Amino acid sequence: MSPGSGFRRGWRGNRALYFIVMIVVALALVFASRTGVLAPIENVLSTPLNAISGAFQQIALRLSLGLGDLAEVQALQARNAELEAALARLQAEVVDLREINNDYARLSQLLDYTTNAQNQEFVTGDVIAVDQTSAIRSIAINRGTRDGIAVGMPVVTPQGLVGRIIEVGANASRVLLITDLSSYVSARLQTTRAEGTINGQVSGNLLMTFIPLGEDAREGDIVLTSGLGGNFPPDLVIGQVTSIRQSELFQEAQVRSLINFDTLEIVLVMTNFQPVDLSVFQQPDGN
Amino acid sequence: MGHMLALPILALAAVMQATFVPQIRLFGGQPDLVMLLVLAWVITSPLEQAVTWAFVGGFAVDLLSAAPVGASIIGLITLVFIVEQLKGQLVNLNIVVLFGLVLLGTLIQYVTLSLMLVLSGFSIRPIEQFFYIVLPSLLYNVVFSVPIVAFVRRFKRGLSPRRRLARRSIIE
Repeated sequence: MSPGSGFRRGWRGNRALYFIVMIVVALALVFASRTGVLAPIENVLSTPLNAISGAFQQIALRLSLGLGDLAEVQALQARNAELEAALARLQAEVVDLREINNDYARLSQLLDYTTNAQNQEFVTGDVIAVDQTSAIRSIAINRGTRDGIAVGMPVVTPQGLVGRIIEVGANASRVLLITDLSSYVSARLQTTRAEGTINGQVSGNLLMTFIPLGEDAREGDIVLTSGLGGNFPPDLVIGQVTSIRQSELFQEAQVRSLINFDTLEIVLVMTNFQPVDLSVFQQPDGN
Repeated sequence: MGHMLALPILALAAVMQATFVPQIRLFGGQPDLVMLLVLAWVITSPLEQAVTWAFVGGFAVDLLSAAPVGASIIGLITLVFIVEQLKGQLVNLNIVVLFGLVLLGTLIQYVTLSLMLVLSGFSIRPIEQFFYIVLPSLLYNVVFSVPIVAFVRRFKRGLSPRRRLARRSIIE
């Protein structure tokens, strides 16, 4: 028997000491993970897990969507009728908007003004995992530093804003959804241009807060990013106002995203948007 | 041998938890497969093996989560040592005791993970999250605990040397 094995058995026999050692090791891992010391190991270990996860996620979504469709045939029929009516109405609007767009394009050309949308560059990513802690609303995608992804880049779908990149590995990244409690997005109402802040809720819904009392906010208004704060480009669709509540100081609006975050399959990362670091404007204490 | 198999089993459970399980979320709650596997293992096995399962399971969960690596391990290790302490005082493991341990495990995981998330800069709303996430998760964990403990028991029985010898003699 080696001299070390007796010692090892000894401290493991003392359960309190064994427990403390294990907790200290776990805390050291947390610290190493937060400071990035563990990043190379995390990258290596998460690569096979992400690959398996990606394959499983595709199967899970197919199953979920298939079962959901079966259970919701009636609801889908009613929804289809609604959408057909909306389509007819919107087609008329599209004709008008095309006219406006043509006018706008001509005027923009005259002013030599290019919109942000024309300059945006995207990288497409598949959703490979959903955060399993429930306390955090995030997803993992199969694109990382090798694809030009960086922390802070906005993530969208054609239906609107999804969130922003918070962690990047070589082949995968983590996206903090706008529905997370820690997510704050500067927003404005499309019709009245009233400003506010979109914050995620525990239920997964969105709440637009800090809308000034004097501003006209209505149900059905489309909520867009305002671009204030520099974290997101302006005019990305966030959702639609479903109800308004007034407090003593501000108005609050419940906002429904047009995205179903539970069944997200593909997202777009805006790779040419650089978040603005406002910390450079912070004054040191005492100045 | 049993704890060597922790890696594939817990990795698979963590992947299932990140892919299939979110599709059956009730409000914000979902079953915690890794916690239930670790709980089942500590009930049926020596402390050292259960600690290995807690480390491997927590690591796998955190690799597929935005939480820092180690955050889930703290809760699982705490659960393992508490259950190990209680094991000596329990006459037998009936369904009520099992549900009690599941309740304990769910709460420990929630409290420790919330603490780690706050320290890592994430926002939490404890009371809202308790009702929206923890209670539905608890319900799911209670339902899933019975088949998972049964699976681990069968699995362990299959690993026992006596059973393996018997199987080999039948083949020969």
